[in-house]
Amino acid sequence: MMKKVMRLVRVQLWAVLGEMLSIGTKRNKKPKAIYIGIGLFVLLMSAISFLYSYMIGSGLAMFDSLEVLPPMFMSITCIVLLITTIFKIKGTVFGFRDYDMVMSMPISTGGIVASRLIILYSINMLFVAMLMLPMTLAYGILARPSALFYVFSVIAILFLPLIPIVIASVIGTIIAYVASKFRRSNLLNIILTMGILSIFISMSFAIDDDGEKLVTMSRNLTSQVYSLYPLAKLYTMAVVDQDLFAFVLFIAISAIAFFLYTILIKMVFKKLNTAILTGKTRADFKMGRIKTGSPLKALYLKELKRYFASTIYVTNTAFGIVMLTLAAISLFFVDTQTLFGPEIPANLRSGIGPSIISFCVMMCCTTMSSISMEGKNLWILKSLPVEPRIIYLAKILVNLTILAPALIDAVILGIALKADFLVILLMVLIAAACSVFVSFYGLIINLLLPNFNWTNEAIVVKQSASSMVTVFSSIGIVIIQFTLMMLMPNILVAYLGYVTVLVVLDVCLYWVILHYGKRRFFELI
Amino acid sequence: MNMLSIKNFSKSYKNDKKAVENLNLEVMKGDIFGFIGHNGAGKTTTIRAIAGVLDFEEGEITIDNISIKKDPVSCKKRTAYIPDNPDLYEHLTGIGYLNFIGDIYEVNRSDRETLIKQYGDAFELTVNLGDTISSYSHGMKQKLAIIAALIHRPKLLVLDEPFVGLDPKAAHTLKTIMLQLCEEGSAIFFSTHVLEVAEKLCNKIAIIKNGKLISHGTTEEVKGNSSLEEVFMELIEEK
Repeated sequence: MMKKVMRLVRVQLWAVLGEMLSIGTKRNKKPKAIYIGIGLFVLLMSAISFLYSYMIGSGLAMFDSLEVLPPMFMSITCIVLLITTIFKIKGTVFGFRDYDMVMSMPISTGGIVASRLIILYSINMLFVAMLMLPMTLAYGILARPSALFYVFSVIAILFLPLIPIVIASVIGTIIAYVASKFRRSNLLNIILTMGILSIFISMSFAIDDDGEKLVTMSRNLTSQVYSLYPLAKLYTMAVVDQDLFAFVLFIAISAIAFFLYTILIKMVFKKLNTAILTGKTRADFKMGRIKTGSPLKALYLKELKRYFASTIYVTNTAFGIVMLTLAAISLFFVDTQTLFGPEIPANLRSGIGPSIISFCVMMCCTTMSSISMEGKNLWILKSLPVEPRIIYLAKILVNLTILAPALIDAVILGIALKADFLVILLMVLIAAACSVFVSFYGLIINLLLPNFNWTNEAIVVKQSASSMVTVFSSIGIVIIQFTLMMLMPNILVAYLGYVTVLVVLDVCLYWVILHYGKRRFFELI
Repeated sequence: MNMLSIKNFSKSYKNDKKAVENLNLEVMKGDIFGFIGHNGAGKTTTIRAIAGVLDFEEGEITIDNISIKKDPVSCKKRTAYIPDNPDLYEHLTGIGYLNFIGDIYEVNRSDRETLIKQYGDAFELTVNLGDTISSYSHGMKQKLAIIAALIHRPKLLVLDEPFVGLDPKAAHTLKTIMLQLCEEGSAIFFSTHVLEVAEKLCNKIAIIKNGKLISHGTTEEVKGNSSLEEVFMELIEEK
């Protein structure tokens, strides 16, 4: 039995990892590419995590508060795990695409449930290990604890994702089940998700980097987490104080909770999957007068509906613009002089605006996965009597629609930062040029790295080669832009130059879309 | 009059194995042309190339005397294509999808309303058009894909296994519509494994084996005095 389950896990886990790296169709190259891809990704993330935890740890050590580091990282890991897992439940445990095929196999429901939970655990474990192991190493270097610390830490890390998975699963299952009962539940789903994420981001905005405040903040955060999530306290006692009783209790609670959850899921697995996979129908349609429109409008509306039909697509791509709007409104009510400190000159303060806009807009790219999102529907687009540029334009227009508030945000931000008229005008121009740039750029990257063989849209949106390349290179572009800005003697000239460069790039990318895009469209399969 | 012409069409995939080799076919106005072959013979590859879904380097395909390579948009305006597995936009409602197709093919409002009602009723799908496609069964999706293909009055219908998933009544309705369309001057090119249907419905038949055309002509010419099944079995078992 266990052999069958593990075989199932292996097949499905490879499928997930293959999709993540967009190499689903290149069968013969699969293992090598997967190993290299995963290796590089893990290495990079671990290095970042180590540097980050070492820096924070050093800061905390200066204030004699190094012991806050492990629970702080544990809390952050658990929160991120909780949020990301809520949206992984549908597609992993419930409502996954190959449900019918898997259920028809001669494997017990318990075995199938176990395979799905092992997959969920494995994906989460990769993330937990990337964050927590480098932190353990950093803490070890800084605190020089006994060998028992490493033993307890490594074992505790293995059990750490269990409770967040259980909590997220319960929330995710309720959302998925409720959603299956309503026809237009996605909007509610999106609003709820955005709300939760905005709260978390607003909380992190509240932290400033004043050394003593960081310690107070960390301590406050830790004590709040302790009261909300008592297991974090047990974890601290187990790892930092090497308390054997706390360690055993932490392991036991995590394992028992997960075991009970597995039994519960086993009981409702079939029932909930049936409810989620069976769509809501009314069968009461009557022909009335229908609205007509142009091909571009039809493609645009289809694209917009596709976008809002996927909670994961919206939450991952619209977050930049939500952040920008929140930042613009928040800054409107905060005294910027207090926020940035009196030592920063006024022109530089107002000069920060365009960089904030650049960053938030660059993080809001729907086109980086809009080609891949066609998936099995690609044949429809390819058989339509429409030029590829119209199809691309519809996809670009959706991105520009989502980014439209950036223009208003730029004005609000400009006023809040007490920038003069010319800077505000530049900010609006930067918002517009940046929106066009990211829409074109994401589309080209997705045309270069498409993936149509996905089974879970979360992988296309969040972890595919196309979205990773777009997001990371966009961050790189913003960093380069910000560094160059700071080197320039005059902030106004610098941003004028930036707008010019963006406009030139926009024109170049449009040319690429028209020529390379047309040719590429026929090659897509 | 020539509606579809395939000349010296070949298609190889990355492993250099030819899926289709030097295929030559002609479909005239009013033809119901059956394309028959075993699994992996090259039927779907040919159909996808005709529909403009699959890119190809060798040969020439023209629809209504327009090259699919040189002017794909004009060709596609005249064609309707239904793949063997109609994966449609699951997030749209049935009517939303039909309206989308209507907008793309620029079908005017009154024609669109009339044809959606006519074909929706014929396939008993009208009441379900308000539901999202994700709630449809395979057969319902197939019916919707057929209605979408018909509402823009195509000159050429290219269908890959169109009867799979249809209930007997819907299959009968489709056959009736196919005959009616050809009487009105359209042409139909379709693949099928149901040889009885091909024998009864088609006026022309082509048999493909390992990417090569091994027999084609009018149904009578191809089958002679035997049944189509007997001829097909004989031909594909020959070396």
